Amino acid sequence: MTMQQRIIAVIPLAWGQEAAEQALAAARQVAHQQSLACAVLALGPAPAAWLTDMAGAAGAVELVYAVHAALSDGENLQALAEAAAQAVDQSGQQLLLLPPGSEGEELGARLAACLSATWLGRCARLDWKADGLEFERACWGGRLTLRLQIETSLAVACLRAGKLQQQPAHANVLEPLIIELGKSLPAMFEIEQSSSGQTLPPVESARIVVSGGRGVNEAGFALLEQLAMKLGGSLGGSLPAVDAGLLPVMRQVGVSGKFVSPDVYLAVGISGTPQHLAGISHDSRIVAINSDPAADIFKVANLGAVADWEQMLPALLERLPA
Amino acid sequence: MNILVLLAGVADNRYPLHPIAIGADGQIDESAQSRRILSPFDEGALELALKLRDKHSDYRLEVLVLGGSNSDNLLRSVAAFKPDRLRRLDLQPCCLWDAQLSSHQIAGLIRSEALQPDLLLIGREFGDLDEGGLPVMLASALSLPLFALTQYAQWQDGQLCLLRERGIRQQWYRPPGPVLATVTNDRRNKLRHPLMKNVMMAKKLGFDAVTAAADGSPLRLKALELARDVQRGGQCRMLAGDVGSQADAILAYIRDSGEVPA
Repeated sequence: MTMQQRIIAVIPLAWGQEAAEQALAAARQVAHQQSLACAVLALGPAPAAWLTDMAGAAGAVELVYAVHAALSDGENLQALAEAAAQAVDQSGQQLLLLPPGSEGEELGARLAACLSATWLGRCARLDWKADGLEFERACWGGRLTLRLQIETSLAVACLRAGKLQQQPAHANVLEPLIIELGKSLPAMFEIEQSSSGQTLPPVESARIVVSGGRGVNEAGFALLEQLAMKLGGSLGGSLPAVDAGLLPVMRQVGVSGKFVSPDVYLAVGISGTPQHLAGISHDSRIVAINSDPAADIFKVANLGAVADWEQMLPALLERLPA
Repeated sequence: MNILVLLAGVADNRYPLHPIAIGADGQIDESAQSRRILSPFDEGALELALKLRDKHSDYRLEVLVLGGSNSDNLLRSVAAFKPDRLRRLDLQPCCLWDAQLSSHQIAGLIRSEALQPDLLLIGREFGDLDEGGLPVMLASALSLPLFALTQYAQWQDGQLCLLRERGIRQQWYRPPGPVLATVTNDRRNKLRHPLMKNVMMAKKLGFDAVTAAADGSPLRLKALELARDVQRGGQCRMLAGDVGSQADAILAYIRDSGEVPA
């Protein structure tokens, strides 16, 4: 890694290993294009051995832990942003990459504001070329792609780069640098919390996602939830289904919702708009059930059945153990 | 209490996209045939503001609607809900792909007009070119605390309460002072239908405009092109037979992935 160009994965420890892997995968992808190495800035109350191992295995050459008691709360995004801003050495050209997803994007924008850095946003592609950063973003609901270019010394972005590939041949044994942050960090504002009544696991980490669209009604979503439970998966849905009050927004899959990467995505009554498909990993296999044989979902599915959900969902449920 | 709502609108995704290109000036050039409507996030922000005003008719509701193609129709649709003040917001230049520049434009306007909102409501994404950075940076530029992804708002014992859900928890926040809340779509903030008499009245209205100038130059646009087709291997294997045999085949396929209980 040269002193002039640094690619840094910014990782809140409280967000867990999956978020760390995603930020590292993004940093590795950008670094690999220019034969650069990447570094890691971890934010938490104390160093974490799992990240030291993960960062080393991913080929990172430098690991800094910025530690402060206030960083134990992964929801205190302003504290995380200010901590990262305190810890970043602003010499040379730097690209800071946050874990993708709505929280990573909010943290990234807050961090960019703290540092007066350029916020590149939710990038679909990001290259660091000789004449600057070139990046792409989806716009107009995923129907168009915007390519932008900027020369800047300090940029912050989110990039979804798929799964982290371990690099045993290039694994590094890291000796982390620990920075104890001296300045106070903002406290999280007072929030009253109660159960939302959700029983299924989060949709974004499920290995199988059963998902419904506007073609399914309330009774159908009750069946989808049963199916998700029997399959050991989770429940998702499209924006129109959320708008219709059929499931909570935290289960919305798509460009403005969650990004999911299950092994199997069972899409029921979903037409297959670009906005929805943008929330499903390319690695996921899609099984589509739709009564319309011309539905676009069949163009991208691996397996399809032209059927009404009223018949198909009970048939699936009765074939699974109680 | 002053409630300020910022609305951007998006192209109606029920119709093919209107012609859009990068103009010679480096700005986005949209044809006038754009069918711009309120996004689900815009609608949520407006509905929450209306809900709050329902209980306190003395509270002031001001709405700024982003100018551009089809803005008169958009303004009329909002006017039918009878905000206390409604104006078109012209960003010069209008570069919503640059959250930093745009947020500072809007913050500068809010400051210069001394709007001083106690509650600023804005959709979680501001228009077709923002992916959520603008509202976050606007909160920072205005030095306002940010409550993100609000789903519902109500008065409780005379105090404003904002609700969002995170994982298996729902979170209530009672802001002690001015706050910027981004709003996401939720069944509780579906936009109501306006009264027909107000719709008719809105058709006759003209609208004032306000301009927010930029300080600096935007991120440079290099290209705007159709999104690439999603490449997934495709080759969908369509199942024949009755529903029972299709169900068997689907479960066998999922079982092969190792994800289904035997």
